[in-house]
Amino acid sequence: MQKNPTIYKDQQELPTIQRVISVLWPSFLVASISTFLFFAVFDPIDLGRLAGYPELTRIGGYTIGFFFFWVMTAFSCGLTCYFRKPVHPPTIK
Amino acid sequence: MSATAGKTPTPDQQVEAELYKKRQKIYPREVHGIFAKMRNLAMVALLGIFYGLPWLNWDGHQAILFDLPARKFHIFGLTLWPQDFIYLSLLLIIAALSLFLFTALAGRLWCGYACPQTVWTEIFLWIERKVEGSRQQQMKLDKQPMSARKFRIKATKHLIWLLFSLWTGFTFVGWFTPIHELWHELITFSLGPWETFWILFYGFATYGNAGWMREQVCIYMCPYARFQSAMFDHDTLLVAYDEKRGEPRGPRKKSADPRELGLGDCIDCTMCVQVCPTGIDIRDGLQYQCIGCAACIDICDEVMDKMGYPKGLVRYTTERALKGEHTHVVRPRIIVYSAILLFLFSALVYAVATRVPLELDILRDRNTLYNETDEGLIENVYTLKVVNMTDKPQTFKLSISGLKDAELIAQSDEIKAPSGEVVSVPIRIRIDPENLPSSGNDIELHLESLTQPGLETTETGRFLGPMPEL
Repeated sequence: MQKNPTIYKDQQELPTIQRVISVLWPSFLVASISTFLFFAVFDPIDLGRLAGYPELTRIGGYTIGFFFFWVMTAFSCGLTCYFRKPVHPPTIK
Repeated sequence: MSATAGKTPTPDQQVEAELYKKRQKIYPREVHGIFAKMRNLAMVALLGIFYGLPWLNWDGHQAILFDLPARKFHIFGLTLWPQDFIYLSLLLIIAALSLFLFTALAGRLWCGYACPQTVWTEIFLWIERKVEGSRQQQMKLDKQPMSARKFRIKATKHLIWLLFSLWTGFTFVGWFTPIHELWHELITFSLGPWETFWILFYGFATYGNAGWMREQVCIYMCPYARFQSAMFDHDTLLVAYDEKRGEPRGPRKKSADPRELGLGDCIDCTMCVQVCPTGIDIRDGLQYQCIGCAACIDICDEVMDKMGYPKGLVRYTTERALKGEHTHVVRPRIIVYSAILLFLFSALVYAVATRVPLELDILRDRNTLYNETDEGLIENVYTLKVVNMTDKPQTFKLSISGLKDAELIAQSDEIKAPSGEVVSVPIRIRIDPENLPSSGNDIELHLESLTQPGLETTETGRFLGPMPEL
């Protein structure tokens, strides 16, 4: 990193669109897979009944499940993006 | 694009310029030729499947329907339930491995011809060309200030794009809920809120990805584009410019002899750059932005023809062939991929062919190990779970074997199970303790359909009793 400060700086200043994509897009992919795996095992109607929402339809359950996964995974991607910021080491006097 | 003519920037400057560069709209020039024909053929076939197949019926239901509201998948005569998850996983693994094999063999065939992003971008470009005209006309129109004419043209294009996207969204949802019912709900304005949402969501995604994002999806968003190079080797088919033959490039008269001028075969007409849907210059070498669509091959062949030079300055080739070596089609990587693929495919075919759409689970009563009846018989209590995974209601007959003179006591002789349902059946089994060889014995429960001969399954359960007296 010290050898090539320009590249270092560039990573900080990726185009906004690319940063937005790097949060929303991987989370979308992972949320899709999670939704698929989760609902292959659990029926949303059963879950709705357990949670006290007997009127929940399956499509509704899948949708809520998908967006729940997406929000959570996006949150995780967002944190990763945030922690990528370099921490300046304390200067020794 | 014109930068190639001037001084070549250093790689570092290039990286920096690319990182800061605002995306410039790419106007791919229309191209004709053998690969364009193949791409159009693939586009028509794939879009035909996507838009047409959901309307096809089979044996009284939609031929292919991943019925999410009913939690069952219809694939022609086959009905799969959530319990059959393994088949779908296997199918996905096979699809991924096939992609690896094709990539190792022929590079980015998938990207250039079959990827939905390519196919929909292609059709959106076609619409754009029909409304706005050729590449030059589009560029001219975009440079003009807004006028009534420009507004009319742009509005028409976006309107057609949006309608097409909505139809795409509708069809997409139709793969997952019965499309005929969906259509009926649509024309009677009685679509459910979730269905409406997903039609709009997928429609919007189509409009955004194929109308606006285009090559950026491949460059920034596609995971496959990033890792496909791992499957590449020196024998992989790729679209490449023959540098040895082309360089030094430069314009010349058709009548001139390039050798006399000290020129290669490339006339630097930049047509290959103009047709490129990702806006790269194939002459810069192998680039990960190249989706292997071969548009540059078609256009360059056309130019070579006009110049009276042999075709193939840009062509499908391999790194080895470019170096003048022999290309190996059969190589360890290909053999390994093919072998795994063949194994998995056989496993899937075998599993589907021998699949019994019936499941029997035996749950022992947990509260007591066994009861003793007044007549001195040993009794075990079970709950059976019968899962009917056929698409018809079934009546089953239950029988037991494995222990001498075992008596089966159930509420009814027959078990009725509707299609796709799990039925709980409480049963008791009684045996004279003299017939029990040990305190824990295996007992076989045999379930046989009376409705559909041949549909049967056998499960082994445990029958517990007292320690036999010695």
